[in-house]
Amino acid sequence: MAIAEEAIITLEEERGGGPHALAGNEMMGAEMVIQVLADQGVDTIFGYSGGAILPTYDAIFRYNAGNPDKEIRLVVPANEQGAGFMAAGYSRSTGRPGVFLVTSGPGATNCVTPIRDCAADSIPAILICGQVPRAAMGTDAFQEAPVFNIMQSCAKHTFLVLNPEELEATIRTAFRIATTGRPGPVVIDLPKDVQNWTGKFRGEGYLNLRGYEKRFARLQAMRVSDDSMASFFHMLEQSERPLIYAGGGVINGEAATELREFANTLGIPGVTTLMGIGSLDTTSDLSMHMLGMHGTAFANYAVDDCDFLIAVGSRFDDRVAGKVHEFAPNARGIAHLDIDAAEIGKVKNVSWSYVGDTGRCLDDLVRYAKKTGFKKDYTGWQRHCAGLRGNHPLDWNRKSEMIQPYYVLEELNKITKGDAIVSTGVGQHQMWAAQYFDFKQPRTWLTSGSMGTMGFGLPAAIGAKMANPDKVVIAVDGDGSIRMNLGELETATTYGVGVKVLLLNNQGDGMVRQWQKLMFDQRFSGTDKTMHKKDFVKAAQADGYEFAERLHVNEVDKVPETLQRFVDHDGPAFLEVMIDPDALVMPMVGPGKSYREMIVGDWIKPRESEGPAAQMDGKTKADLF
Amino acid sequence: MSSTNGAILETPSITKHVLGVLVENHHGVLSRIAGLFAARGFNIDSLTVSATEDSSMSRMTVTLTGDTTVIDQIRKQLNKLAEVITVEDLTEQGLHIERELVLVKVEYSPEKRTDLIEIAAIFKAKSVDMTPETIAFEISGSQEKIDNFLTMIAQEACITELARSGVVALARGSGGLRKSFYAD
Ligand SMILES: Cc1ncc(C[n+]2csc(CCOP(=O)(O)OP(=O)(O)O)c2C)c(N)n1
Ligand SMILES: [Mg+2]
Repeated sequence: MAIAEEAIITLEEERGGGPHALAGNEMMGAEMVIQVLADQGVDTIFGYSGGAILPTYDAIFRYNAGNPDKEIRLVVPANEQGAGFMAAGYSRSTGRPGVFLVTSGPGATNCVTPIRDCAADSIPAILICGQVPRAAMGTDAFQEAPVFNIMQSCAKHTFLVLNPEELEATIRTAFRIATTGRPGPVVIDLPKDVQNWTGKFRGEGYLNLRGYEKRFARLQAMRVSDDSMASFFHMLEQSERPLIYAGGGVINGEAATELREFANTLGIPGVTTLMGIGSLDTTSDLSMHMLGMHGTAFANYAVDDCDFLIAVGSRFDDRVAGKVHEFAPNARGIAHLDIDAAEIGKVKNVSWSYVGDTGRCLDDLVRYAKKTGFKKDYTGWQRHCAGLRGNHPLDWNRKSEMIQPYYVLEELNKITKGDAIVSTGVGQHQMWAAQYFDFKQPRTWLTSGSMGTMGFGLPAAIGAKMANPDKVVIAVDGDGSIRMNLGELETATTYGVGVKVLLLNNQGDGMVRQWQKLMFDQRFSGTDKTMHKKDFVKAAQADGYEFAERLHVNEVDKVPETLQRFVDHDGPAFLEVMIDPDALVMPMVGPGKSYREMIVGDWIKPRESEGPAAQMDGKTKADLF
Repeated sequence: MSSTNGAILETPSITKHVLGVLVENHHGVLSRIAGLFAARGFNIDSLTVSATEDSSMSRMTVTLTGDTTVIDQIRKQLNKLAEVITVEDLTEQGLHIERELVLVKVEYSPEKRTDLIEIAAIFKAKSVDMTPETIAFEISGSQEKIDNFLTMIAQEACITELARSGVVALARGSGGLRKSFYAD
């Protein structure tokens, strides 16, 4: 007497829409895939074809021939990893899942890094991989790889479509999983014979994931109870120095408007994580910019000083709370708002928490404050924060005869004024970009935060520019990082994608050198690239860049004018700036250290009360990554 | 300061927990769950999977030993998997029935035979196979009872082969995983 649920269900959202115009039509599996993608609003697919995905590529061609008014753009990278990061750039800059489509075996394994990268930063994305036909699976067939096994440890979810009847529901469900709850990438492994199978298109239906749906419905319904409101405001009332600590969850959860409203209504200053940049307008008075390992000194001082910390969509990551029990040491209470229950209490115990839509929670808190007439004067604390900002700003050697990276970014920021989309590679240039650029809006700062994947910057910028053709999109890259996906330079010119590529060339893996300098007695094992022969400008020219220029390290005075032409250039532009190879990212809170042990370098003013300026002793081993 | 000590740094009491997990009866679910334990470094004592009263679901029983923060984190991580229907800590809920099935083979010397059979009788174990040198028992019960039985027979003979099914468990009374999932 077995009882069983339907395998495919109709969700509330689908009801009432009437049947799909193509419902009941005979279609190939591959056609169903493309039709569902189109139904989901996909306008661009990044990907690379090959034997096991040929039917689906063919279906795109035929779909576009039949739907000239709503063609799906197909963007072919140099390497599938590039497609993945393009999809990620598309997704990060719009909130709509980027889609990439690749063949089996090597095509799929080249996508492991972007999938893990998306998962680690909670970015929704859809990857469809061709797979060898079902009958050949498990036989070590040509270009067979255990994609389901590999990807399921990296992605938010992975499907292997063994039953073609479930194909269209699987594709729809993939979008649903990618975009609901804590977002993330979903991988669909699609055997070739399933693509070639023919059946009736239903035009509706999702896989029945009861537990997931129930938990999601609960999250959606989650409101802050009056008691809980009261206890939040009690803590706030008791506090003199509350501080918002906003993370990527605010951006991924589309809660920036609510966060700003919350901060402004209550007068609470805020710091953001690397991933949270753009959640607060960095040019606003309440913004204390980035905290953490390479956060601004004033942000970290504010964290040390606050007596109530309000964590929103952030997760006490080791780059923020290197020494957990000394993080925010004066906070008598911590409130934590997150969509993911597993983040609450994972690293740090908190005194108040809310699991659900952070935007709604912030909105409810603001309403409650207004309703109850909550008023608390934080102007003294705001002045204190403004003082920290004024007294301990980022700074550098402004008299240097070598181009300093900070100078380049400061000047570029004067041109873009916080309105550009900026992507980065990973390393010093990434941290400098995070520190020196302004971001007025969410989804304009694109960086590989949790994974820290070199090679992210250029393809992510391409994907973002395709999704935002009217915006200035700048890839700030390092010489090491750009090499990783240098092939994608050509992708920009091939498709006429007007990205601006700014290469801050310090002839080496600057960030690793910085650690070697501070923790390995200056033994620069494997990180010096002064002997490398690459002429990046020639490479850009060879790839068709009409603007491809270089500034030599002593051409300090040419920086502003060159940057202006670079940004103004109509079309893809490439600018290499040779920078002082010894420039450091400061401040720095060493791995596993507390903010009190932050070093500020030669140009940022530490505060007296921190005692003698902390020094990184040259022989401390970096046991902590 | 008192309320903000690091959760990962605390060491609360370590206890045994039995988790009942209902999952969609889909391809690869077991490997996904096993993969979660492996990747996050969660140590488990046993994991069983089987069919249920509902053919669209499988049931897993996981036994693990850990402090409450770890168990809580494991539950939350399990709850993030799309194919997990529900997770309940049966130990936390109080009364539950827990059984494990064990087959154990010993090599004995003839003078120990009656002792072995007596021990088996006390523990309600059955002799299910016998040769002049070896005897195999079947026993089911709580892990505790089984552990005691094994200790006892190990004193009389040499255990040469042992297969344990891992724990299966149900809540006592009218409750149940599936029922409570659909109840609220
Ligand atoms: C794929 C990958 N490999 C290795 C690393 C380790 N790593 C972090 S920063 C860095 C150096 C980056 O060099 P570059 O892109 O030139 O940036 P810079 O620090 O010089 O600005 C390395 C090797 C990484 N983050 N990603
Ligand atoms: Mg470099």
